[in-house]
Amino acid sequence: MNHVPTSEEFDVLLLSLRVAAVGTVIGLPLGLLIAWALAKTSMPGKVLLDTLVSFPLVLPPVVTGYALLLLLGRNGPLGGLQDDLGIEILFTWFAAALAAGLVSLPLMVRSMEVAMGAVDPRLELAARSLGASRWKVFTTITVPLAFRGILAGVVLAFARGMGEFGATIIVAGNIPGHTQTLPLAIFTNLQVGDDDAAVRFIVFSLAVALAALLAHRWMLKRAVV
Amino acid sequence: MGEAFLNLQFRKSFPDFTLELDVSLSAGITAIFGPSGSGKTTTLNCIAGITKPDSGSVELWGRQLYSSSTRFRGINRPPEKRRVGYVFQDGLLFPHLRVRENILYGYHQTPKNRRHLQPNKLVEMLELEPLLQRMPSTLSGGERQRVALARAMAASPEILLLDEPLASLDMPFRGRILRHLKAIHHETGIPMVYVSHTLSEVMVLAQQALVLSDGKQVALDTPNKVLHQTPVLPLVDPAHLETLLEGRVVAHHPTSGTTEAVFGDFTLWLPTVDREKGDPITVSVAASDVMVAAEAPTGLSARNVLKATVSALNRVGDTVMVTADAGSPILVEVTPEAVSALGLQPGSEVYLVLKASSIVVLG
Repeated sequence: MNHVPTSEEFDVLLLSLRVAAVGTVIGLPLGLLIAWALAKTSMPGKVLLDTLVSFPLVLPPVVTGYALLLLLGRNGPLGGLQDDLGIEILFTWFAAALAAGLVSLPLMVRSMEVAMGAVDPRLELAARSLGASRWKVFTTITVPLAFRGILAGVVLAFARGMGEFGATIIVAGNIPGHTQTLPLAIFTNLQVGDDDAAVRFIVFSLAVALAALLAHRWMLKRAVV
Repeated sequence: MGEAFLNLQFRKSFPDFTLELDVSLSAGITAIFGPSGSGKTTTLNCIAGITKPDSGSVELWGRQLYSSSTRFRGINRPPEKRRVGYVFQDGLLFPHLRVRENILYGYHQTPKNRRHLQPNKLVEMLELEPLLQRMPSTLSGGERQRVALARAMAASPEILLLDEPLASLDMPFRGRILRHLKAIHHETGIPMVYVSHTLSEVMVLAQQALVLSDGKQVALDTPNKVLHQTPVLPLVDPAHLETLLEGRVVAHHPTSGTTEAVFGDFTLWLPTVDREKGDPITVSVAASDVMVAAEAPTGLSARNVLKATVSALNRVGDTVMVTADAGSPILVEVTPEAVSALGLQPGSEVYLVLKASSIVVLG
């Protein structure tokens, strides 16, 4: 049994890291905004937003992927925009990143929502009485005080993005060297009977997951300022 | 007392309680006094924009902060647009920022042309220089409140609201903060609205007192006059019935272990305090620690005998609260039997006896 990964196999790892990282970065502003709205406002439609953001967590990822496929398809709402810009997102690594970001969004939002909810609202009121706008309060009080919880949410989302399979295969396919991420590579190698390669990919996955969980744990343990 | 600067005319209902106000406050230090749940903090929150009244108006220096009137199309300015400074009960310093950054927080939010208070000046006045690099979690309660005061003032507000800023402090710190508050008011002329359920703080600090009970205004007058109004004293928590006196140290008497201090028209002997001659001093005397005599007592061990005139008698629960004027008003708790035995009534000449050891030095 050969334990040494080939450079192509390393490329799969790098691609997965890139997909998960970009997906997390795209989800971050959205996650912060939704978490803030859920934790700190009493806006109408909060229940709807809460439900909507939880959908990717409970739906089969394949269904989430199909929704994304319709959204990004040539006849979808974002199809025309892509034509205008002369780009094609479907079946690229970027589509995989979007899938990873969308599927991991609920995890990110939940973690951030809890962290922001734990920030004493009276501190935020104190800041506003000192002349700070809601945006200023968000950036100077809420986010810094919830920082470790927010970071924990980011790590969790990244880890979930690394493992994304169902939605990815719908919107990005399983193209070796282009959109084949770790889970897809494991699946493919098991299908064709190359168990050695599959095990090497599994070791990659384990290492990344372990690192993410340890980081997450450390952040939450120190979450209190 | 200054001109009217704050007009409150609003109504706010909660499931179990309704606050209804219609008052104009003058630009000095106003104390809002009343028992817990009388609507004091709600009043402050309505001024600061933290709580929205159901109807009415809040007007500061002629500026509508809140109005349900259609003429103003239902104005409700957000807290950050009100220029209202707020010192909360527990300070609420930002735990992730150093003292210095806390103080500068509001200053940086204030447009340059509206900054009329220099943070350096506030730091100096409140003696905060040694604390500037500290984190809030390392400060004592009194230090926190001084920082909170500096932070609120550095934003150059047009009014300063204080919600029981002394409630969480130990006795020795209270007098010090009170002196700082007076100094800030004197130096800047900023109007203050000070919420307290401790009568003595109201007496020593405020030029006018608004007394609330169960969401209603029961009195608005100078603190001394308010105290004489029959509905007010029963609202006072008997445990907090005390008199605060502000004076100056004049001499130390090491042989007797006492310090002599002058409080306006009279002199008191206190347990020795570590204070220079000429230093300001604030003391508290519990109403239950003062004795009343109808004639000048002789052969007493107590050093402090003050001649006073009874100005009011109020029944509070099982006891009678006597307000005796010895130059400044002093509260005395006596039994109904003592009132009839001594023939006490408004105008009676009495002698107040205070043991030195019963006088608590606050700061």
